[in-house]
Amino acid sequence: MTLGFKLKKRDEPWQWGAPIILAGALLFSFIVSSLLLEGQGKSALDGLYILWTGAFGSAFAFQGTFLKAVPIFMCSLGVAVAFRMQIWNIGAEGQFALGAIGATWMALTFPNMPWYGQLPLMFIMAFIFGGIWAFIPAFLRLKLHVNEIISTLMLNYIAILLLEYLVFGVWRDPSSFGFPMTVEFSEGGIIAGIAGTRYHWGIIFCAIVGVLLWAFMRFTRMGFELKASGEGPRVARYAGMPYGFLVIFVMCVSGGLAGWAGAIETSAILGRLQPSLMVGYGYTAIVVAWLARLEPRNIAFAAFLLAALRVGVENMQLKMQIPAAFGEIMEGIILLSVLAGQLFLTYRLERKQDSAREA
Amino acid sequence: MTELIVPLLAATVQSGTPVLFATLGEMFTEKGGILNLGVEGMMSVAAFAAFVTAYMTGSPWLGFIAGGIAGMLMATLHGIVCISCLGNQVVSGLALTILGVGLTKFLGTPYIGMAAPGFDKFAFPLLSDIPVLGNIFFRHDALVYVSFIIPVLFWFFFRRTSLGMAITATGEYPQAAAAAGLKPVRLRYLAVGVGGFLVGLGGAYLSLAYTHLWTNGLSGGRGWIAVALVIFAFWRPGRAVIGAYLFGGVMAFQLRLQASGTNLPSSLLLMLPYALTIIVLVFSAFRGRGTEAPAALGTNIEPEG
Amino acid sequence: MDHKFPTRDRTPADQFGNVPAVRLVNLTKRFGKVIANDSINLDIYPGRIKALLGENGAGKSTMMSMLAGRYKPDEGFIEIGGKEVSFSNSKDALEAGIGMVYQHFMLVESMTVAENVLLGQEGSFFVNPREMVERVRGIAEDFGLDIDPEARICELSMGEKQRVEILKLLYRESQILIFDEPTAVLTPEETTRLFEALWKMADQGKSIVFISHKLEEVIALADEIAILRRGKIEGEVDPASIESKADLARRMVGKEVLLEIDRTPMEPGEEVLRVENLTGMGLEDVNFTIRHGEVLAVVGVAGNGQKALIEAICGLRKPPRDTIFINRKPWRKFFAESTWKRSLSYIPEDRLGLATLKNHNLVDNLLLTTRKGFAFGPWLDKKKAATKAQDLIEKFDIRPPKITALASQLSGGNLQKTVLARELFREPVLIVAEQPSQGLDVSATEEVWKRLLEVREMAGVLLVTGDLNEALQLADRVAVIYRGRILGMLPVGDEDTPGRIGPLMAGLSEE
Repeated sequence: MTLGFKLKKRDEPWQWGAPIILAGALLFSFIVSSLLLEGQGKSALDGLYILWTGAFGSAFAFQGTFLKAVPIFMCSLGVAVAFRMQIWNIGAEGQFALGAIGATWMALTFPNMPWYGQLPLMFIMAFIFGGIWAFIPAFLRLKLHVNEIISTLMLNYIAILLLEYLVFGVWRDPSSFGFPMTVEFSEGGIIAGIAGTRYHWGIIFCAIVGVLLWAFMRFTRMGFELKASGEGPRVARYAGMPYGFLVIFVMCVSGGLAGWAGAIETSAILGRLQPSLMVGYGYTAIVVAWLARLEPRNIAFAAFLLAALRVGVENMQLKMQIPAAFGEIMEGIILLSVLAGQLFLTYRLERKQDSAREA
Repeated sequence: MTELIVPLLAATVQSGTPVLFATLGEMFTEKGGILNLGVEGMMSVAAFAAFVTAYMTGSPWLGFIAGGIAGMLMATLHGIVCISCLGNQVVSGLALTILGVGLTKFLGTPYIGMAAPGFDKFAFPLLSDIPVLGNIFFRHDALVYVSFIIPVLFWFFFRRTSLGMAITATGEYPQAAAAAGLKPVRLRYLAVGVGGFLVGLGGAYLSLAYTHLWTNGLSGGRGWIAVALVIFAFWRPGRAVIGAYLFGGVMAFQLRLQASGTNLPSSLLLMLPYALTIIVLVFSAFRGRGTEAPAALGTNIEPEG
Repeated sequence: MDHKFPTRDRTPADQFGNVPAVRLVNLTKRFGKVIANDSINLDIYPGRIKALLGENGAGKSTMMSMLAGRYKPDEGFIEIGGKEVSFSNSKDALEAGIGMVYQHFMLVESMTVAENVLLGQEGSFFVNPREMVERVRGIAEDFGLDIDPEARICELSMGEKQRVEILKLLYRESQILIFDEPTAVLTPEETTRLFEALWKMADQGKSIVFISHKLEEVIALADEIAILRRGKIEGEVDPASIESKADLARRMVGKEVLLEIDRTPMEPGEEVLRVENLTGMGLEDVNFTIRHGEVLAVVGVAGNGQKALIEAICGLRKPPRDTIFINRKPWRKFFAESTWKRSLSYIPEDRLGLATLKNHNLVDNLLLTTRKGFAFGPWLDKKKAATKAQDLIEKFDIRPPKITALASQLSGGNLQKTVLARELFREPVLIVAEQPSQGLDVSATEEVWKRLLEVREMAGVLLVTGDLNEALQLADRVAVIYRGRILGMLPVGDEDTPGRIGPLMAGLSEE
């Protein structure tokens, strides 16, 4: 504010602001990460090229990006509905893990069932497990005012350790030479691929869920109540809405969706449960939800964008020996710059003038 | 008994120290009305900055200071986003954590397994001779002794100085602070910066005293525990000490149990501190109901006119 | 019908001369397209009380906020002691001797009186609590302000909080003191004490600026009156030369206004609300009934249990069993069975935070309490709601007349009309209206009053207000609440009712 500028509130919101800010944030993060690359003695231009080809360079690359977008999209949908209600569910990562555990439990228990029996059971259990993992913080918040940011986060750590406990212990495949992983799921427990591509039917499932959720938020009474409660519990109670129930509901759905993401990733991609499942999709989902301004349609786009970033960085890791953490740096910078940039949606800069003197 | 308990309590003090620094740092920030959930990221970056500085210069003290400065710089990013650009404090803190953890892994990977000169333990003259207590509290590295003074300074600063009162007012009701002629924006930057410095000292402790070797993931959730402990402590430094040592105790206990070759799987033992965090929050809910929080915590100051 | 203010028996001292302490020269301030202040010129003299009279929204607060350094003028300047000054924040203004007591107190609730008074003062870095308390106590005694410097602000009454605000300015030895609607939170007795304190300060040579929209107060208190209308100074009057209040009101509003509204009492019908031996939540043995076609006003200074009473009646807080009966049904049964229509409507004081969704458009805001009327199965018929919203906007003349407008973009008056339109559309049997005209300009107030009287056709009305005039204009009976108890139930028709309310509000019961 000492730069000779001051903030003025806009009369109307900035129409093209959101995409411009996102583009600006991407650009800024590319600049910073280029500097980081150069700092490590690596060519930034090469890096960006490898990033691009890794994500979009070939049909194979593109399919990889698309596949990665799936779990991020699902988790992010869940995060967004909770954030809409001002419930800060940071626990998608843990709910994702619990969903995977629930699905694995079913797959290991009923290996002989055909897919039309086994897969529904896996999905139901994944939703229940993910939902329970989100129900705990929701309940604690409502009844005891326990801050849900902390409780969901702590449950992330606990969930990952629980997953490790299972694959290192009771669920370890005896023939894995000591590697922490379960046995491979039977055929009925694996989501089939779509012929001739790397895609699988889980993608269609995700798309349907996305559309249903969008319609639910937009056209139903309960969707309206959820959005309205986002303005705070007092308004909700004024309008006779069951705020407590809505909080529990929204968290269970949020956790259930993340749980589904975990089930899909385990079943369709890995085919078994192993610790390498946990690569931080749940955190990326938060970045995506915020970049998409919590709108389901934007989430699809933003999930794809950040999936591309992840796949591209994997390519850089392979070809330039860049640590995978490079992607996290970019995610962090993009989100920080978007947050800062959103100021200009409601304000604009104006030249400061010493009117008193000139008058 | 004492042969068993005293070393455990001494280890408690040691593993509680980084959490104590971080808790006080976050508390300082929140006193000014800013919620900074980036503690985990700030601690990571600070740990690395401290390690590299000590490694390059050979001076652990320079490393310690560098850790604080790194924490402060990270916190300043949060300040720019939230104080000047009115960004959402929750999301900005998360972004800071993602950035900080990523940055640490990115820059730190080449250093994995290397050692830097750190702080060594020494018996504090005279005080270490006190029976039992001397062994628990006064046979540590210099940073532990530093950590004893900070809660006292913290209390004194907020209770007995005009600047401390000004920061409190900014955290409670920034418009009132402005009407009294204070500058809430600057005060908030100050709170965020000093808080970040303290958090950074906590990070530095991890790489310079807790261990002297560099590994990835040193902070291991301690930043988040610190955020929780601020709530547990009702924004009072005295209770922060209790909280930090409680966690230090659980971590030390859990490590000893693992080392003793118990049958309990290590992943279940590692859950203890995280589960305890939730339990502690449940118990503090019975008393405080969050009414002790600074009234304007988490809300931004919209510019006027 | 009005409460009597102490009469002024003073001539402003002449020894301070005729040189203005402060001059506002061509001061202009815009917010977006709105011109809040349009080339204001005003002189303020030492030792005199200048009243700034204007409706809500006339620009009084904006003008004084510029003087107090909170806003920067877009054009024009301020002169103090003949020298042009420019403030970039409150601190600059404070240092120039200008202090302001805001309508919403600028006090840190969790800190003590002494800490608040000394906040932001030049002084040593280290503070000594004991010495602080003694210093503040000294000044309080000098000016006869009764207050405990060690008390925390959250323990104080509104009147006491105001004394802390005044103390802050006295401690700084401010020479120009601005009071923004200071009587809104005071009992009549506290108002009298405030007036006396203001005269005392003026006698010591301080300049006082008193912002108000209440004619009687201004006439009783001020040495000079400046009328502000639509951001412009409409004129200055000498209170001694005022012939009629109506004339002053006309100049303030710019058109003929009815200061009184026609109210023909209605034949009361069936009982719609009964409160029986309600004790707890800060209330003590509250009893009253309201019938269809009747308006009962509960008056009192804010913070005497009104909130708890309202929240219990409106279902936001659970009352003890068998204490509240709505529409002749026990509380629990009423709310279990209540639907969106023919039920209870609550028009809260907090229009933007409670009654409407800030960041949602007017259709969503219509749906907020009527959504069950537009639902079929789980779905919501937004088209029908939009048509209805458009309808109501026209019927109630809400501006801007667009269903896409957000609640936060509406002015206070239009927001209140939106809430009224929605709630009356529900055809309630009981209406609970809390401070319904607070912060509205005269024409919006008139509109709200008219609607509340009209609504008696279908409902009983519980009016909770701190504004005596409003209660006397609308109600059939007035219940005075003090520390959670109803101290008196007075019929409005009686001659001596207005005079009896004041002492009751201050807790002086009539035995």
